[in-house]
Amino acid sequence: MDKKKSSSLYWPWLPAAFALAGIIVFIFATFGPPASSSGFVSTMKGAVQTVAPEYVENKPHYAMMPDTGSWLFAFVLGMAIGGFAAGRTGRIPVRDIPEIWENRFGNSRIKRFAATFAGGFIILFAARLAGGCTLGLFISGSTQLAVSGLYFGVLIFAVAMVTARLVYGSTGKEE
Amino acid sequence: MGAQIWLGVFSGIAFGFVIQRVGATNANIMARAHLMISGDIPKFMLMAVILSAIGLLGLESAGVANTRVLPTSLVATGVAGILFGIGWGFCGYCPGTTWAAAGEGRMDAVFALIGGLAGAAVFAHLHEFFIPLLYDPFNVGQITLADWTGSKPAAVILLTLVFGLCIGAIHLFWKEKNGSQTP
Repeated sequence: MDKKKSSSLYWPWLPAAFALAGIIVFIFATFGPPASSSGFVSTMKGAVQTVAPEYVENKPHYAMMPDTGSWLFAFVLGMAIGGFAAGRTGRIPVRDIPEIWENRFGNSRIKRFAATFAGGFIILFAARLAGGCTLGLFISGSTQLAVSGLYFGVLIFAVAMVTARLVYGSTGKEE
Repeated sequence: MGAQIWLGVFSGIAFGFVIQRVGATNANIMARAHLMISGDIPKFMLMAVILSAIGLLGLESAGVANTRVLPTSLVATGVAGILFGIGWGFCGYCPGTTWAAAGEGRMDAVFALIGGLAGAAVFAHLHEFFIPLLYDPFNVGQITLADWTGSKPAAVILLTLVFGLCIGAIHLFWKEKNGSQTP
């Protein structure tokens, strides 16, 4: 991989960190701690309550979250719009299967999509157990100096590093 | 209420735009970060936290911050962190990036998003079983670094030092394996 060519497509990490921190501080001033796994619950609440309103009313996990008419849902929807806008106005190539995955497991779309479905399932199940995700618990929590966010952050980075080594084996080194 | 929706959409668009441009929505880059090949995304995340913590300190002194510290449950937060790490290392997406990556047009992220909705629904169904079992008995409360350091500014300095050391360590140990980035 040509490093010079690829790095010019992406923003350098330091100015990007200033930009993201500006947005996070804006969110703390206008809403509260930013979160994205809560947006999944709001989405499901909005969807499920249209068919089973009594079920949603009696479920504590839905009771503690607002439905789709909320900042939380607007935020995740906005993230999809932001990703779309950034993708359409930039030159970053979009792939359905990451290169590193293709080198290791081949170009089967079904295999990759099944894997990300399972991965998505696990991360959201886990995030709801902890009460937050990379953003809602690690980034928001650590910004507020919360021990929960730092504890979660150390574990997710350490375990993800071990998992990636097990998943990709020596493929990652060759790339 | 209406203002909150527009603030949410605006914040989301800005957030999604930045994380796409820095490469966080690219599962290939995320895998390379986890494999200690490319350190830009972890450095970006840690630096964003340092700057946000300093900014939040400013908001609090101005009296306009809305904070909510999540409690630490030694078992639930720990088990969740391990499960989350497995899922993150396996698929290269986290909850926030799936939305931006799906919007960007990455089909594997669309499936991660659908899987995430299913995972959230299953947890919501089992909340009454798991929370009293894993969360509540081990909940040590809304503890923060300021409880140890005595003051918030001191805690922000401590956080900045520790995260700064992590960024330095990533700079030293996350290397291109083909030797294009020799120390």
